[in-house]
Amino acid sequence: MPPLNYFVVESPDEVGRVAYERVAADVLQDLDLIKVVDRLHIYVDPKVPIFVAAGLLRHMPRAIRIADFANVNRGENEIVLDIGDETYLAPLLQKLWTIYGKENVDQPDRFTVVLPAGVAGEDDLDQLVVADPSETLYKDIIYALQYIAPEGFKVRRQYIRDGKFYYVASEDTLPTDIVETAVVPLFEKMGVTL
Amino acid sequence: MTTLVPVTYKGGVYRHDEIMDLIDDLGGYIVQKHVMAQDVVLQSFVPRDDIEMIRRIAKPLAGEVIEAPLVGTEIAVVSPSLEIHHLPHISCDIAEYLRRSGAKTNMVGLARGFGKRIANLNDEERDVINEHDLAVYVLGNFEECIRQKFPAIRREIRVPIVVTGAPDRETLIRAIDPPAEGYVGGVGRIMHRFKRPEELGKLDELVDEVSRVLDARRDALAKDPLSVFPPRLMAIIEEQIHEVSLLTHPTPVTAQMEGLRVKLPYDSYADDVRSLEVAEGVTVGDIADVTPSRMRNYILIRIKPFSETRILV
Repeated sequence: MPPLNYFVVESPDEVGRVAYERVAADVLQDLDLIKVVDRLHIYVDPKVPIFVAAGLLRHMPRAIRIADFANVNRGENEIVLDIGDETYLAPLLQKLWTIYGKENVDQPDRFTVVLPAGVAGEDDLDQLVVADPSETLYKDIIYALQYIAPEGFKVRRQYIRDGKFYYVASEDTLPTDIVETAVVPLFEKMGVTL
Repeated sequence: MTTLVPVTYKGGVYRHDEIMDLIDDLGGYIVQKHVMAQDVVLQSFVPRDDIEMIRRIAKPLAGEVIEAPLVGTEIAVVSPSLEIHHLPHISCDIAEYLRRSGAKTNMVGLARGFGKRIANLNDEERDVINEHDLAVYVLGNFEECIRQKFPAIRREIRVPIVVTGAPDRETLIRAIDPPAEGYVGGVGRIMHRFKRPEELGKLDELVDEVSRVLDARRDALAKDPLSVFPPRLMAIIEEQIHEVSLLTHPTPVTAQMEGLRVKLPYDSYADDVRSLEVAEGVTVGDIADVTPSRMRNYILIRIKPFSETRILV
């Protein structure tokens, strides 16, 4: 960890600060978000109590197409998809079933999918979108922050839009101006305005 | 009188029954037996003078005998919750490591143990923890939180407590009032598996701390011994009440330092257990309290000390 361009954890408690640095790094790594988050600033003070995380996202991951993980071999009678990476096999099959019908999609073994040329001959299979990781990305980011924050901090406010996100949590009721007083300064430290 | 010491025997399945017979013949007790594929682990008590003999006999079978300080104890690993924040890494790694030293560990995830102001302990959790020999509290990263919440989640816990948390040992000692029996610093909320040498070192430190606390308790017990040695009573129950052998629990009868947990329904079996004859004219009811456990519908046996019963089996 981490190829983040900016990663700071602040806390009045030095031991806790180091521990949270590690926690945040582990969680981002576990959830595979390191490539997605560009900058992250966390402030946590158990005396207030408050947990604030603010950050920026990198460009969104692009949609996954068949060409990204499989070879499309066109024969005279059939088209054979040679799967290189199984990660997206399940959504691929779902997609093919809806387009061509279950009776036309044959899977003789784990790494091979066969379609009759008569049914799918004309289509540009290489470019067929199988999955879009950005759909769940927002949920993943908020989940990661929820996971990093101390568990007892149940009262929270979260925001994610236009590549910026923040997450404020506390054990007590959050004051109405918490975004102005706690979140905006963190974005300023990163050289960004919310 | 021979002193029985807790040891772990690790070896293959092949001819392990000979080792079991040997321990039995030497007057030892097997508290737990695990068979994992081709391996066998026996948690047992054996006479101190005979350890070398067992080692010698086990050698051709590629078996080894290791001193395991926590055999015959039941330890609660208390986590503020069973949420992803505390599981699996810290709580499970700690529980597993204690298990390797011979303890029977139970994970207790509190319903509302998280937070510093809102943390609390309900009566069921309190009673369940109190049924163990020792409780390991797996706490988090901030001194402030530990200071504030710990009194709430230890309320009325009478068993010895070992606390772990991210602040160092001295800070933990300062933060916790009244003092707990043991402290291990540098283990906070960790979101990855314990695998680095310093992390494994912390787990060893925890085992040492737990054994130190339990040894103190054992010393106190030695001054007023129990009317019967729990593993001995365990062997008698396993022999006499055949339903025990039908249970699928990993440890149908769990040995504790001062008693046993029998995993049979209290309502149907408590009287059978009470009237069980331990020795000529002495029943379990004479030397122990047979009570319902707060854990499911199990039976909890608390063996009374010699000073109370004037019986030593």
